[in-house]
Amino acid sequence: MISHAQAGHSGEQVDLSVVAPLYNESQNVAPLVEWILEALAPYPGTFEVILVDDGSRDDTWEQVAAASARDPRIRGLALGRNVGQTAAMMAGFDHAGGRAVVSLDGDLQNDPRDIPALLEKLDEGYDLVCGWRQRRQDKFLLRKVPSWVANRIIRRLTGVPITDNGCSLKAYRRDLLDRISLYAEQHRFIPALSASVGARITEMPVRHHARRFGESKYGISRTVKVLVDLLTLKMITTFRSRPLVGFGTLAVPMVLGALLFAVMTGVAVAEFRPSKAEALVFPGSALVCAAAAFYLLMLGLVAEVALHAERESANEIPTAWEVR
Amino acid sequence: MGQGALMEPSLEPSRVGTGGEARLVSVVVPVVERAEDLVELHRSFAAELDARGEEYEFVFVFDGGFAPPAELLALSQGRDNLRLLRFARSFGETAALRLGIERTRGDVILTLPAYFQVTPEGVSTLLNALTEDTDLVVANRWPRIDGWLNRVQSVAFNRMIAGVTDRPFHDIACGVRVMRRGVAEGLPLYGDLHRFIPALALREGYRVTEVAVPQHPRNARTRLYGPGVYARRLLDLAAFFFLAKFTEKPLRFFGLVGSGFFAAGAITSLVLLVNRLQGQGIANRPLLLLAVLLLALGVQLLGLGLVGEIIVHLRAPHRRAYRVRERT
Repeated sequence: MISHAQAGHSGEQVDLSVVAPLYNESQNVAPLVEWILEALAPYPGTFEVILVDDGSRDDTWEQVAAASARDPRIRGLALGRNVGQTAAMMAGFDHAGGRAVVSLDGDLQNDPRDIPALLEKLDEGYDLVCGWRQRRQDKFLLRKVPSWVANRIIRRLTGVPITDNGCSLKAYRRDLLDRISLYAEQHRFIPALSASVGARITEMPVRHHARRFGESKYGISRTVKVLVDLLTLKMITTFRSRPLVGFGTLAVPMVLGALLFAVMTGVAVAEFRPSKAEALVFPGSALVCAAAAFYLLMLGLVAEVALHAERESANEIPTAWEVR
Repeated sequence: MGQGALMEPSLEPSRVGTGGEARLVSVVVPVVERAEDLVELHRSFAAELDARGEEYEFVFVFDGGFAPPAELLALSQGRDNLRLLRFARSFGETAALRLGIERTRGDVILTLPAYFQVTPEGVSTLLNALTEDTDLVVANRWPRIDGWLNRVQSVAFNRMIAGVTDRPFHDIACGVRVMRRGVAEGLPLYGDLHRFIPALALREGYRVTEVAVPQHPRNARTRLYGPGVYARRLLDLAAFFFLAKFTEKPLRFFGLVGSGFFAAGAITSLVLLVNRLQGQGIANRPLLLLAVLLLALGVQLLGLGLVGEIIVHLRAPHRRAYRVRERT
């Protein structure tokens, strides 16, 4: 896939952009817009609301276009097809011109009245403020338990002390969004990815409401996928700067195996009269292990080549942060 | 779609008038196999476009090994709307299409194979189907007049692809397609992906339709290829399958296969360990070699997936999984 990224963000400069991805949320659009505008009425700066229609099959886009026609601060983006929450959020971020960006779910479960508090927290000097849903209004067994387990594992593996990774209500500084590129289903790992580029992260309690209209688009089947994605993320963020080290680590057990079988071959030869089979099985195993270790090291070199080629290409993402 | 919506020029398909307005139709003909009487092909399709009052240009792209016939060369002399391009060596159909798209200016691109696949009137049906709500129209040769052997091959190929695409197609590999310039330029055309153009366009978020078009009588000849050709088709299919499902998360694929091997190796090792504890020697068991081999293979596949993930991650800042259709 797919289209190349535009250089930078294509929005106009405003103080705040609110981004909400929508998928088949036709009934929720009007109340969401009304709610956001109400919550932001006291907001002193300029703002825009970016509603991203992620290839809905109902008339979500017509609702968005209507809301946008009523108020120029409401901007709509219709995506070519359903690409999932991560890519839809990225679309919103790419088109957001705000110095601060707030993301929230399009299903009214997040409360826009929390936005001012998130922004205040952001101004205390953070790059990312994550919402932490209090008294979560979701099904216990299907949503809350898997979520609790997943969050514990994420926290443990990534070392980023965020309680509720799954909450969409978050506030970002523009600087941070320019440094992270989300793809696949990484919206759950925004805190971990942000931490890996050196962002300052905090969390604060936010309200959570039960779904009023429409259906939840999640099932329990995603839990396994989340775990696989998490392991992937862990490996990538650990090894992305020095892949050869990572692959070298992976090769260590293979080297140990090769040594073990080599010793066993030696013992077999020294102590017993080596039969044909013994002569084959132990040294054979040693060779397989050695070959696997060698192969992994070569793979590490391939990764280094890919990394080098990428570094050579012109537009590198900035790594240093502006001092505040 | 909404009227008066602001279009983003870089992301939107080219604006195309649906009648009245002048537009240019670029006809791209990759000459890579089964080249028939190209002069007659040009004449009959040009006549159809003339009858419709379209403005058009023809570009023939000759793959290495195909020389433009003298008559066509003579015809192209002194005419802007018939151009002949030729590859220095064989690059294949996808590359030929790509070159044809790059070297034309039309708002609408019509691709035609170098032989009669559909009747010239069929092209009119396709052009009519390219309405404001459509970005690409592919011909579905129907009714078919060729023998059962051709149809069985076609149905089998399309069935297999249907398992991977977002929507089933009936004649996905048909070389007769009409698309807007923006679509043609946005497609990842490399390798042998031309067979999957409608599915690729769908994946990019374009609106694709399939239109029944009568098959040309000359397309009825029974075709049977050597086993190598079918093997390559299967590999193309596998490549497309991988592209469609795992380009963003290669480790999900390699991880699945790799952990399968690893688990098999682990179970085999466990069996051997139990045997050893029961006092049996394992040094003369070839099963030990198999166990080690499976474990090593599992780790290697995981490693491959990891390399894929690193490449995807490194490319992430330059790629986007979405395409904006409309903005307000």
